[in-house]
Amino acid sequence: MFSHLILQRFSISRMELSTMRDAFNRVAKKQKLSTSKSQEVIDQVGHDIGQTLLNIQSDQDPASPVDQRSILAELRSKLTASSLLKQLEGSQKELNIDLSKYQKVLEKTLNADISKVYRNVEFDKHTLHQIIISHLYHEGMFDIADCLVTEAGEPEAVSLRCQFEEMHQILEAMKSKNLEPALSWVSENHARLKASGSDLELKLLKLQYMDILQKKSQQDALNYMRTYLSPFSSSHMDEIQKLMGCLLWAGKVEQSPYADLIAPSQWEKLSEELAEEFCSFLGRSLRSPLSVAVAAGIEGLPTLLKLANVMAAKKQDWQAMKHLPVPLELGEEFQFHSVFVCPVSRDQASEENPPMMLPCGHVLCKQSIHKLSKSCTRSFKCPYCPLDASVAQCRRLFF
Amino acid sequence: MEMETDALPNGNSQASAGSAASTGTNEGALAIVAVGAVSAAPPSSQMNKLAESLKLEHQFLRVPFEHYKKTIRSNHRIVEKEVSAVISGVGEAADSTDLSHDDAVQHLSSLVSRLQGLKRKLEDGSKTEHLQAQRCKARLDHLESADSENISEWNSTRLKRILVDYMLRMSFYDTASKLAQDSNIQDLVDIEVFSEAKKVIDALQNKEVTPALAWCADNKSRLKKSKSKFEFQLRLQEFIELVRSENNVRAIAYARKYLAPWGATHMKELQRVMATLAFKSNTECPTYKVLFESKQWEYLAEQFKQEFCRLYGMTLEPLLNIYLQAGLSALKTPFCYEDDCTKEDPLSQESFRKLASPLPFSKQHHSKLVCYITKELMDTENPPLVLPNGYVYSTKAIEEMAKKNNGKITCPRTGLVCNYTDLVKAYIS
Repeated sequence: MFSHLILQRFSISRMELSTMRDAFNRVAKKQKLSTSKSQEVIDQVGHDIGQTLLNIQSDQDPASPVDQRSILAELRSKLTASSLLKQLEGSQKELNIDLSKYQKVLEKTLNADISKVYRNVEFDKHTLHQIIISHLYHEGMFDIADCLVTEAGEPEAVSLRCQFEEMHQILEAMKSKNLEPALSWVSENHARLKASGSDLELKLLKLQYMDILQKKSQQDALNYMRTYLSPFSSSHMDEIQKLMGCLLWAGKVEQSPYADLIAPSQWEKLSEELAEEFCSFLGRSLRSPLSVAVAAGIEGLPTLLKLANVMAAKKQDWQAMKHLPVPLELGEEFQFHSVFVCPVSRDQASEENPPMMLPCGHVLCKQSIHKLSKSCTRSFKCPYCPLDASVAQCRRLFF
Repeated sequence: MEMETDALPNGNSQASAGSAASTGTNEGALAIVAVGAVSAAPPSSQMNKLAESLKLEHQFLRVPFEHYKKTIRSNHRIVEKEVSAVISGVGEAADSTDLSHDDAVQHLSSLVSRLQGLKRKLEDGSKTEHLQAQRCKARLDHLESADSENISEWNSTRLKRILVDYMLRMSFYDTASKLAQDSNIQDLVDIEVFSEAKKVIDALQNKEVTPALAWCADNKSRLKKSKSKFEFQLRLQEFIELVRSENNVRAIAYARKYLAPWGATHMKELQRVMATLAFKSNTECPTYKVLFESKQWEYLAEQFKQEFCRLYGMTLEPLLNIYLQAGLSALKTPFCYEDDCTKEDPLSQESFRKLASPLPFSKQHHSKLVCYITKELMDTENPPLVLPNGYVYSTKAIEEMAKKNNGKITCPRTGLVCNYTDLVKAYIS
């Protein structure tokens, strides 16, 4: 039932898209008609004048200026009688109707002004430019970032460049199945990776081993195993044994039960993991914060726009509020913090009003418990199950 | 029915804005329905979000359309003007009494060649129209191409479009075209439209009004319709420049010709500017001093940008600013400003906090608990477990830890060690 509804809602949007397309196609068609009408009119006028010209030229009798005048008068009345300008105007008028129809369809189907939720505060340009430049470096668009550094006059932002340059060199190399730069980075950062509990190094070494096994000989793979992977044998016996098993399939791993170890998805996964570790060492997130914030804005904006309409109708001030009056319900990927909302009072928990767990496991805010227990004077029933509780039994939670 | 569709996974809160703001009571009912829907179709919810976000793309379709419309109109105007000029040329010839044979031939031939010229112009014009129609279509195609297969690529293109829009508005033309070219999205951004603006802005920065006035003349009827006073402001500035050079007689003549027509609607400003004649450009009187300052030119350039955006149906603010404001507000919680804010949150960074400081905080109606260890949401699938010290982690995180350490759990925030069996489940409603 739900999927049906979802499809229906979604297909409305498809329908709207095709309405827009149809409206536009009508415009394009009328524009072509109007152009050919113009051409026709020009040709007509040109033809008529050309004919007259021939008539005058062929009439070589110098003693007949009267004739010439009547020919010209005839041409004039021909041109005015066919009301060519009216025809031009007519085709343009028809086009105009479809032009304004398309504009109306756009305005009706889409949010014609998304800036009505804009709060009139200007972003500090310098800060914003820094953010954009670091986004471009983060995404590996170095030339574009450099260009912006010059155009926006933010020379100090270029310092971010070298940080991300190394990362993108490593990732580029991995794209062409070259693990050398990645391996040298993990060995340089061996201690830090170990401290953060990452097993990236082992994973990369394994991948390199499999690559050697696939492209070179069994002997090369074995040598590699002895030199680089044996130190892991005590802690990762299972995996090492599995890798040894692969030796039997040298050069044809893709047909073996171990095919997933060399799958392209394996390379992609490791690239991402490396990028994450790298960014984390730079004190950054894997996803550029600018793209996270903009994506959150795109998800939140439709609700905000509806809210702005409601508030405008109630004459409430959009510019001054300190808290949004409704939740924007972003997707899980934007949930960075634990927010506890007391199911009784609907208050958001805070340091002064922390979440407390009743002996039955249900969680309320401290103030709600205070009220239920008549200022901690008596035991009370949990509002969600009939179990009795006393204030002393309630425990503060930390999310 | 309406309510059910609106309570789809993760909001898509068609109604939750409206209903919560107006009644605030049917949230509970919505939530119950939502639980049923969550497991049903998460990918469709993503598609739903996408479909909803497409509605934000008005400018994307409108700008190339305005450009197209403008070309159509001006091409048509040329044809109309020329054809009627040719026809009245024929009339003149017919009316003149003393036209010699040679004159008549020459006159008609010149009309024919004028028509030939017009025909060439029309051909060029219709080529431009065709290209612009193609661009409008490309935009529709791009909107239609968004589906669950290419969603992440589509989103990344959208961010690039938003960035190009920002750069164009800031006059960072090189960066804008480079980004468009490298990402192969030239048809999806409005570089050409902005190159028209560039000429005017550059001139205003060099304290020249001529291109700006020409632009006003070009768009006269539309500017009039939107009651724009931009041309008046340009004229005022020209007047001020005449006063600055102490060309008072010319200044007065200029005012009669160009300022007086605006008197009916803008008398106050007109009077103020006329009063500068009594002062000189080095006046210390603050009311008039400011009129002579060079920042007036910057103001004119800003004013032009606004008029330009309005004419093309663009938002007056850069898209980036609009989206960022909405996004930062949606993400802003008091927790973002705590020391242990995760770096995955953009608001963990000083620069983003600075931008967000004048914006409202977001609001939550329901608990959303994120596991400290795995960063995953703790819900009925992955319920929260409470250690004896009150610290809460997700079942997934705890079970993995227990498996690795023979049932021993170490609290990562306090160092407390306890047994898996000491933990209790918390019920969050």
